[in-house]
Amino acid sequence: MKAKRLAILAALTAASLIIFIVELQIPNPFPIPGIKLGLANIITVYAVYRFKPYEVALIVVTRLLLGSIFSGNIAALIYSASGALLCLGGMLLLKNIIDERHLWLASVFGALLHNTGQMAAALLVTQTPGLLAYYPFLIVSACLSGAFTGLCAQIVVKRVRG
Amino acid sequence: MKQRILMIAAASIFLLGIIGSLTVLLSPKKSTVNIISDGKVLYTIDLESSEDRTLVIPFGDSSNTVEIRDGRIRVAEAECPDKTCVRMGWLRSSSMPVVCLPNRLIIEFADGGDPPVDALTE
Repeated sequence: MKAKRLAILAALTAASLIIFIVELQIPNPFPIPGIKLGLANIITVYAVYRFKPYEVALIVVTRLLLGSIFSGNIAALIYSASGALLCLGGMLLLKNIIDERHLWLASVFGALLHNTGQMAAALLVTQTPGLLAYYPFLIVSACLSGAFTGLCAQIVVKRVRG
Repeated sequence: MKQRILMIAAASIFLLGIIGSLTVLLSPKKSTVNIISDGKVLYTIDLESSEDRTLVIPFGDSSNTVEIRDGRIRVAEAECPDKTCVRMGWLRSSSMPVVCLPNRLIIEFADGGDPPVDALTE
């Protein structure tokens, strides 16, 4: 990997980490685990459409590890990691079907996959099927926040060339 | 074409989510609760006959304080980083348990809702 490429990836990772930490400071009005805006995913969605799959994976994995250390919530890593990796896999496939003008749609599906992965991990860890009651709320929130972050990413993709 | 199908799929998933959320919110409460820590049922409590009290449920180095008052139950204090379980307030819906994922604690209405049969048969 060329040094310039590496520097760009590092800058993107740093940007998504900063967004992630700033978002942590915003009080969450919804008392349901797993519901949040996920603004840091603007960077992920942008990277999916502009970078090679393994480069996006590098950004996401670094963000996950450092983010869980910086937020002091390492116990939650298993939920966020399973969500993020499922989301990443799904979006890399959807990128081939959905063009840039409908990027927000890819982001909605990414968010749905993210919450599905989280839910699966939570079910496996806690062994409580009752948790599934949260799933409808997670779906609604994923559609809304996914569309929002997707629109933001769409703006970024349009403005930033090369 | 494919994009149109995906868009319709996303819209229907969204609608299903809203219907599901309403179903969960409207399901009635029951009287028996289970307190489950790390997959094991620690307490089964009948809220209507239980007196007001607090329970401390440890998990590793951290713990949650569960409060029962006026026939209701909630997590009053938690030593986890996000405090989602505290902000969820009182347990309301039979299909939506109060959970603390970091401490693997779950408070939910027990199945059935009738007085526990085990108490009679034992």
